[in-house]
Amino acid sequence: MKEVYVAGVAMADVGRHILDPHELGARVCAEALRDAGLLPREVEGIATTPHGYMADFRRFPSQRMADYLGITAGFMMDVDSGGNSSTAAVQVACDRIRLGRISSCLVYAAQREVPKKEVQKDVLGHFHLIRAANSLYDTYQAAYGVISPLPFYAMAVQRYMHKYGLEPEDVARVAVLLREHALRHPQAAYKEPLTVEEVLLSPLVSPPIHRLESSEMHDGAAAVVLVSEELLRDRSRAVRIAAVAEAHDPTNFLPYRGEIDEFPCVERAVRAALAESGYRVEEVDVAEVYGAFAGLELIMYERLGFFPRGEAPAAVREGRTTHGGDVLLNPSGGRLSLGHPAYVTPLLEIVEVVRQLRGEAGERQRPGAAVGLVHTEQGFINGSIVMVLDREMS
Amino acid sequence: MDTKPYMQDRAAEEFFSRLSEGKFQSTRCRGCGRVHYPPRVVCPECLSGEMEWVDLPCEGILLAFTWQEAAIRCRKPEVLGLVELEGVGNVFTRVDAPYEDLHIGMRVTFSTWTSPDGLVLHQFRPVGNT
Repeated sequence: MKEVYVAGVAMADVGRHILDPHELGARVCAEALRDAGLLPREVEGIATTPHGYMADFRRFPSQRMADYLGITAGFMMDVDSGGNSSTAAVQVACDRIRLGRISSCLVYAAQREVPKKEVQKDVLGHFHLIRAANSLYDTYQAAYGVISPLPFYAMAVQRYMHKYGLEPEDVARVAVLLREHALRHPQAAYKEPLTVEEVLLSPLVSPPIHRLESSEMHDGAAAVVLVSEELLRDRSRAVRIAAVAEAHDPTNFLPYRGEIDEFPCVERAVRAALAESGYRVEEVDVAEVYGAFAGLELIMYERLGFFPRGEAPAAVREGRTTHGGDVLLNPSGGRLSLGHPAYVTPLLEIVEVVRQLRGEAGERQRPGAAVGLVHTEQGFINGSIVMVLDREMS
Repeated sequence: MDTKPYMQDRAAEEFFSRLSEGKFQSTRCRGCGRVHYPPRVVCPECLSGEMEWVDLPCEGILLAFTWQEAAIRCRKPEVLGLVELEGVGNVFTRVDAPYEDLHIGMRVTFSTWTSPDGLVLHQFRPVGNT
């Protein structure tokens, strides 16, 4: 089997964009190809995701981009599996390259949502979008008017806090830390510092979750270029994909059986990815974790094996997850403070870990970072994909 | 404006139709006897396709609860919860009690609630409260 490398990465600023998502996508694709030193005619595969959950859905976006950039693809895929979509695309592309069927693949995502303010101003005009959001859930959940997984996550966080006797400050603190991380990221959506008091004084959107503990939907775009060894133009900046593993639970949003704050797929995915890579979790220097809410951020740190159950809040308090700590978690600012264009998020995570492993993360750099981990999820963490990346050793 | 949820399948239509008659019911497999929630047309346990509708337990344990600020149909903040029905599973439901009066692990009992747009849904309230 061939090795697969991430040779190029690019991301647009996270926030609001006026460019059409297709044009925004074209920009990051071009930038990632320049970063990889490849021309479109050297690209053999292309894969992407829809442009958003509530966005106008245009079919076959990959074929459209192949036309726009002039890519003669031997592999093409439009993937929609929620938050895992772009990591799922990376995983399949990776396998195609490992098998030698293609030598390079461009994976990108570009998302632009109708701003929430516009929806609130004109509920009737946007009712079809609200219905579309509601239709994500099965009838037994949708009947209660659910338009986001927020109440499900709220109940999971409530149980987690109940089990380990956590205080609101324990959860708020991770939102504050992620904001500190984001202040070192010039492309993050949030630019203002945050305090624990501010988080706890922000309105409860679904108790125990406060507004500042929940990630807002943003626009964004990112692209990564995967290549086999022959197409590596600059070995010194190469980051290897050491492993990718995927695991799903037999649930769709809120589990109808068993515990709701367990998310066993995360443990299975991380175990498989680490085993394939040959690394132990203690060897991971930097990780990007998909935590859409502050409480879930903590639960994910534990499920990924960085800390035992119930101990993530203390680890955050003691500075073990930040610069100079045991492992640097979400140096980008994470979903809460980098911003969260959900379809793009997995690629933003890969971009951050690649920049860290190349030593190009500027003020956010963890010195000597050699092993990185990316975790993504879909639905209500019904499925997870974990990637392990490492620096090319010479 | 139609605010009704998508009735995504026949079993869902049947479930909500029975609920509108005050019946809290789901499917039981005639092959292996397993009770499903939500109702199914195929049994995931034994793969039989022979189902009958049976009463679900009317009392359960409150596993978790919250409210949502904004939602279709439920205009004011609605208290929502997850109720464990023994031997059946978890039911996501409206809770008919103030948020402040609830705690994890309390026993709750079934009733129905008609939404402003005329949909009959299930709700649970703490045992002893009428």
